[in-house]
Amino acid sequence: MGEVLIKNGVVYDPLNGVKGEKKDICIRDGKVVADVKNPKVIDAEGRVVMPGGVDIHSHIAGGKVNSGRLFRPEDGRKGVEAKTKVCRMQSGYSVPNTFATGYRYARMGYTFVMEAAMPPLAARHTHEELVDIPILDNAALPLLDNNWMTMEYVNSGDMDLLAAYMAWMIKATKGFGVKIVNPGGTEMWGWGKNCSLNDTVPTFDVTPAEIMKGLAEANEKFDMPHSIHVHTNMLGHPGNFEITKETYDLVKDIKPAKDRQVMHTTHTQFHSYGGTNWGDFESKADVIADYINQNDHATIDIGSIILGDTTTMTADGPMEYSLYQLTGRKWTNHDVELETGSGITPFLYSGKSPVNTIQWAIGQELALLVKDPWKLALTTDHPNAGPFIGYPIIISMLMSKKRRDESAEDMHKVIYDRAIYPSIDREYSLYEIAIITRGMAAKALGLHEHGKGHLGVGADGDVAIYDMSPEETDAGKIQKAFLNTKYTIKGGQIVVKDGEVVATPAGKTYFVTPECDDKLTDEMVVKLKDKFDRYYSVTYNNYAVQDAYVPNPYEIKAPWRS
Amino acid sequence: MQTIKLKLKSEVTSGVAKIPVEVDSLTPDKLFGKTEAEIKAVRVWWGNREENTGDLFDVSVDGTASSADDVKLVLDGDLSRVKRIGDGMKAGEIEANGDVDMHCGAMMNGGKITVTGNADCWAGREMHGGELIIDGDAAANLCAMYRGEMTGMTGGKVTVGGNADECVGQYMGGGEIVIKGNARMLAGLNMHGGKIVIEGDAVMPGADMTSGEITVKGTVQDMMPSFKLEGTESIDGAEYKKYSGDLAMTAKKAKGTLYVK
Repeated sequence: MGEVLIKNGVVYDPLNGVKGEKKDICIRDGKVVADVKNPKVIDAEGRVVMPGGVDIHSHIAGGKVNSGRLFRPEDGRKGVEAKTKVCRMQSGYSVPNTFATGYRYARMGYTFVMEAAMPPLAARHTHEELVDIPILDNAALPLLDNNWMTMEYVNSGDMDLLAAYMAWMIKATKGFGVKIVNPGGTEMWGWGKNCSLNDTVPTFDVTPAEIMKGLAEANEKFDMPHSIHVHTNMLGHPGNFEITKETYDLVKDIKPAKDRQVMHTTHTQFHSYGGTNWGDFESKADVIADYINQNDHATIDIGSIILGDTTTMTADGPMEYSLYQLTGRKWTNHDVELETGSGITPFLYSGKSPVNTIQWAIGQELALLVKDPWKLALTTDHPNAGPFIGYPIIISMLMSKKRRDESAEDMHKVIYDRAIYPSIDREYSLYEIAIITRGMAAKALGLHEHGKGHLGVGADGDVAIYDMSPEETDAGKIQKAFLNTKYTIKGGQIVVKDGEVVATPAGKTYFVTPECDDKLTDEMVVKLKDKFDRYYSVTYNNYAVQDAYVPNPYEIKAPWRS
Repeated sequence: MQTIKLKLKSEVTSGVAKIPVEVDSLTPDKLFGKTEAEIKAVRVWWGNREENTGDLFDVSVDGTASSADDVKLVLDGDLSRVKRIGDGMKAGEIEANGDVDMHCGAMMNGGKITVTGNADCWAGREMHGGELIIDGDAAANLCAMYRGEMTGMTGGKVTVGGNADECVGQYMGGGEIVIKGNARMLAGLNMHGGKIVIEGDAVMPGADMTSGEITVKGTVQDMMPSFKLEGTESIDGAEYKKYSGDLAMTAKKAKGTLYVK
């Protein structure tokens, strides 16, 4: 591979403290270097230059994404683009096909996306789709919280064996970390019920709080790059903000293995609800933001709403069923043996609905009320709160009070009574946008140590050049610039030019290998094999994902901390 | 008045596979103002290849038109593999002589289409306006929605001279459908507006309907048990039982009306 020099760009590289400086970026053999000799020169002509975007939480591959595509042919009608010499056929809006997923993210300047929920049993399917997504580097978080093994170890208090199980599962699925979705709730859903933080799951005699604490402790027994990644209980229920706060408190005293959070809570918008029912529903974004401001052990991503039709999908089966009962639209549900489950239903977020209006406000309120942008990442929990293609809308909102005021006028008037939104004056700077779309996400995932989310020497040559001046204040122009880059460079190769995809190299898959003591693993495997023999539809020997499913691997070793 | 005659060349459909031709680019409003040479150069899909209209059809143009309303398109030849006739059409008239393939009159907004033979599935799909007349039979999903959508036909009028297959007017929100013959299972499934008249027999009409009106002049087989008899009413001098439903959609939503002789 050759050399690239990006000249005359105004660089925002938060992990290296570069706040909009005119600075050259040199790339050789796919990595950022100090200087180059005979490069291909790209003149950025004063445009905004950032590291490639890093998405901390998105649903782009795997069983439920594919089920979403299958059961929403009407979504596949949208966004249809014929194949070109470079690109394959694209379709879909909230559940785009794999090709469109790669191209659209790359056009927004993103180069890394985390698939946020991989049912372990469906790991092969997930990896097959990740391979099919062009350009993007990726990773996937296996769901480990509703697993029978996890709950049994939490119940018996064998934390070392829990850690051994966690390590085995992450290795077996070629996963990246620990995903927790409505702990206990998906198991309860197997019995037609749901549960809250301190309820007992009768089948295993554990509480969701104990599950989360146990997994957080297990996670920190290794040098894991990422903390536990949590979708807390009672998602989308009025009054759930208390549960969210209590969930943060659970892990307050656990020491992280690395310089990072102990818990990342995702799509926090869905978990910052006040009121007792949909009638008196209100925003509690201020309470959650206050908590995050005062504590350093938890980070969030916002899960901001994009108005319009979307496809909701989560391992939180009972939540999807309640949503289906609200809308009466179609619904599908899946049980993943002794591991997890999932549900899918379409949903329309409307600015005319008071509830949707408050939800819409909460996502942005969180971003505006959390003072330190290093504590939050921009997401829409794609596609649950809206498709990722809406990120530029949120960016322009956060950067422009004027745009927010104009948008509020188009929403239900409840926004002036039951949301904090209209009273917030803060406007994000481009530096802060770079933090919440790159720096923070890379740091929270521990990927900054592996060349992601920054442009220091040795980093991956992933660069986004946006067609805007750093002085731009027009929200419409900001949105347009963030939707289609002037250039996206991935590993030193130009993949997007003038908003068009010009090359589609394959992305790498990052996975973590937690290194567990053999004796512990052997002891755990006796129990695990029994589970396979008795309950699984596959055998122990056929379970683990083979290397062939990850053709472009990037392994991160996570040693046991004694 | 301008008449554009398009006769499908026999070699187009003489192959073993009978590769379909898609003619959504050949509507009176899209061809209005074009010369014969320009019409011959309009691109149409033949299987996975894009071809010139002149390569697949014998083209002749007669007379002039002052607007798209004045344009009449006559399609001849073996049309049984010609899809999307009048798809998205806004004005003018199409006369298709013979049996036509799927999606005839889909997304139609205005003008008139006459099919002298039978129409395959999805005729009048998501039609918004205009008139579609099928002299023969209509296959399944006449005037229905695209798979997964929640709205089918919203306006215009469709008349079928013969019988119609399953799911006539599924998710219909407006407009009018008249079936002179019989309709197979589930006419007006999920209907929420508009009007369907079936002059012959019907099977399970009106299932899951929440609004709109269905009249069956023949006999109803397997009447949905979730309809409530409201009384009798006289239509054009004949006595009809009037039902409301479908109560399977909850009593609050069951605003549909079904008339059965």
